[in-house]
Amino acid sequence: MVVLWAGLCPGLTEEMIQLLRGNGIRTVVDFVSSNLEDVSQKCSLSYKALVAVRRVLLAQFSAFPANGADLYEELKSSTAILPTGSPSLDQLLDSGLYTGEVTELMGAPGSGKTQVCLGIAASVSLGLKQHVVFLDSTGGFTASRLYQMLRAQTEDEEEQASFAGAGPYALQRIQVVRVFDIYEVLSALQELRDHLSQQVMSSTGPLKIVVIDSVSAVIYPLMGGRQSEGLAIMMQFSRELKSLAREFSLAVVVTNQVTRDSSTGPLKPALGRSWSFVPSTRVLLESKEATWGRGPMQRVASLAKSPRQPTGLQVELDIG
Amino acid sequence: MQREVGSLPLAPALRARLAAAGFQTAQELLETGPCGLSKELGISKEEALEALQVVRQECHGDTARTARGSGATRKFTALELLEEEQAQGFIITFCSALDNMLGGGVQLTKITEICGAPGVGKTQLCMQLAVDVQIPECFGGVAGEAVFIDTEGSFMVDRVVDIAAACVQHCQLIAEAQREEDHLKALETFSVESILSHIYYFRCRDYVELLAQVYLLPEFLSEHSKVRLVVIDGIAFPFRHDFEDLSLRTRLLNGLAQQLIITANDHKSAVVLTNQMTTRIGQSQSTLVPALGESWGHAATVRLIFHWDNSQRLATLYKSPSQKEATIPYDITPRGFRDVQPPAVAPSADGTERNPRKRPRREEEKQ
Repeated sequence: MVVLWAGLCPGLTEEMIQLLRGNGIRTVVDFVSSNLEDVSQKCSLSYKALVAVRRVLLAQFSAFPANGADLYEELKSSTAILPTGSPSLDQLLDSGLYTGEVTELMGAPGSGKTQVCLGIAASVSLGLKQHVVFLDSTGGFTASRLYQMLRAQTEDEEEQASFAGAGPYALQRIQVVRVFDIYEVLSALQELRDHLSQQVMSSTGPLKIVVIDSVSAVIYPLMGGRQSEGLAIMMQFSRELKSLAREFSLAVVVTNQVTRDSSTGPLKPALGRSWSFVPSTRVLLESKEATWGRGPMQRVASLAKSPRQPTGLQVELDIG
Repeated sequence: MQREVGSLPLAPALRARLAAAGFQTAQELLETGPCGLSKELGISKEEALEALQVVRQECHGDTARTARGSGATRKFTALELLEEEQAQGFIITFCSALDNMLGGGVQLTKITEICGAPGVGKTQLCMQLAVDVQIPECFGGVAGEAVFIDTEGSFMVDRVVDIAAACVQHCQLIAEAQREEDHLKALETFSVESILSHIYYFRCRDYVELLAQVYLLPEFLSEHSKVRLVVIDGIAFPFRHDFEDLSLRTRLLNGLAQQLIITANDHKSAVVLTNQMTTRIGQSQSTLVPALGESWGHAATVRLIFHWDNSQRLATLYKSPSQKEATIPYDITPRGFRDVQPPAVAPSADGTERNPRKRPRREEEKQ
């Protein structure tokens, strides 16, 4: 719903706009959907000029249909699959995190969401030598634990001797942004978008993954009560995430909480039905234990939603 | 800036009007100017001017934020954060098992939550931490001050005096054993009076006062920049009675949690909260779980649950970003929060059955 203003396209002058406004045509949609003969009669503007303007506006603002085969070729060349650092989780996700999609990890407090995110960051930074952007909204990012994970991963690959050189570089490739408010998250994403669109041609610093821990912490303070602004902001945020993932071929990983309907109901993901359409893959992390301090902790990841695998798959997770 | 209008922090009514008028990006708003904006939307010029100021601030966000100096949204690399963490101190609890379990003590810049049944020792630990945060750096402390926000009225000053006296005595013993210059100099200023004078005590009687106090904390902390610990004793109490609208409670609690995280991060202080326990009645059994619901569990970074095992107090680390889950025993002695002494020490003098839940006040134990 873009407002018509002078300079939007060549041929659209200020006086044309005033005449159009006088007849109730204010936005691009109004202009394009109106009958141009009537408009030219009422506003006494030349029909040819109006048709030319409409052509330019349509070219600027409409979406072009793409051929399925072209789309497939494009996806084949631009999609990458990123390993998560944990072979069982990779198996659950059909070999890893797909770029261009939003993946969600949900779980109760203490189930290991932040640990899995740290593992993903470590694996991408060390294994693929690519940059990672980590948006931390809960204060749970602990660099010493990340360092521990990096060391554990190099021991697996038997590169202990070269770790002293590679370790600091791996840490430098992970950029952490502390955002505690939904508006701060949105400006951080906007900055990221500006940064990426300027960098399209350069080859330094390939960014393939953005981790946001956690989205529910920043959206919950706006939800509830009797106001709907929380829902509006959440939808704005989800649109931003999905367009970032698609346009720049990023894998976006978010973490979410779980709530219950009543004190005895089953666990369900937080943020409601509207958010459930945003991620394409959802993984539920649970830790099965009897009471605190007794019995071994067993962490289980189950697939709750996936475009490629059957749901209900379960694997055991090992958080190093 | 191609920032969308929907993502700017404006009032919902204003945002709705902007959407109806067809504005999409922040750039269009800035180009229209305040007069044009007030004409288009039908709002007064002052409101249009205010809205444009907000937009300008958001769009030139980087320069505005560094000018403010708080750096809440500064970007770091993981390497810088690692160096920062390694240089940070911990607040010790004088119970070495608990300190080891936590990875050194209560961490700064994180929220630690202590849940437990009544009488298990949550307030005792809070008072111990309020004293321990003031230990001078040469003795291994962080040399900070403490803010104690009390909602239940369980802060007993004479108990703090006992704990502080024991702490000063402990430091004096270390100084005598090691005989170093800076130890003796630090001891001159470290006394019971100075400890008590650096604990700032606030009493909040209902949730409105608590919320107001937490939102006013940043100003207080910028005036008292040496504060390294904020204790809120009893965060569950004001929210558990008298609340009809549960979704409002969740909203307020989550806003509170985010505000506490911002405070802990900006002022490099530790935030310690105590929570109550509630019963979850399941199919065949009932369990004790921390109060305030599922969503509150995500607010704290580190969660400790204190519970009883016959007459032994145990602490379990339930949630931590860097330590494994573990359970350790601890004890509450006349000198404060301590490790469990091995059973070779003489047992209690009289043989009468004591209620293990509360230490009885006996005359011969007081100094």
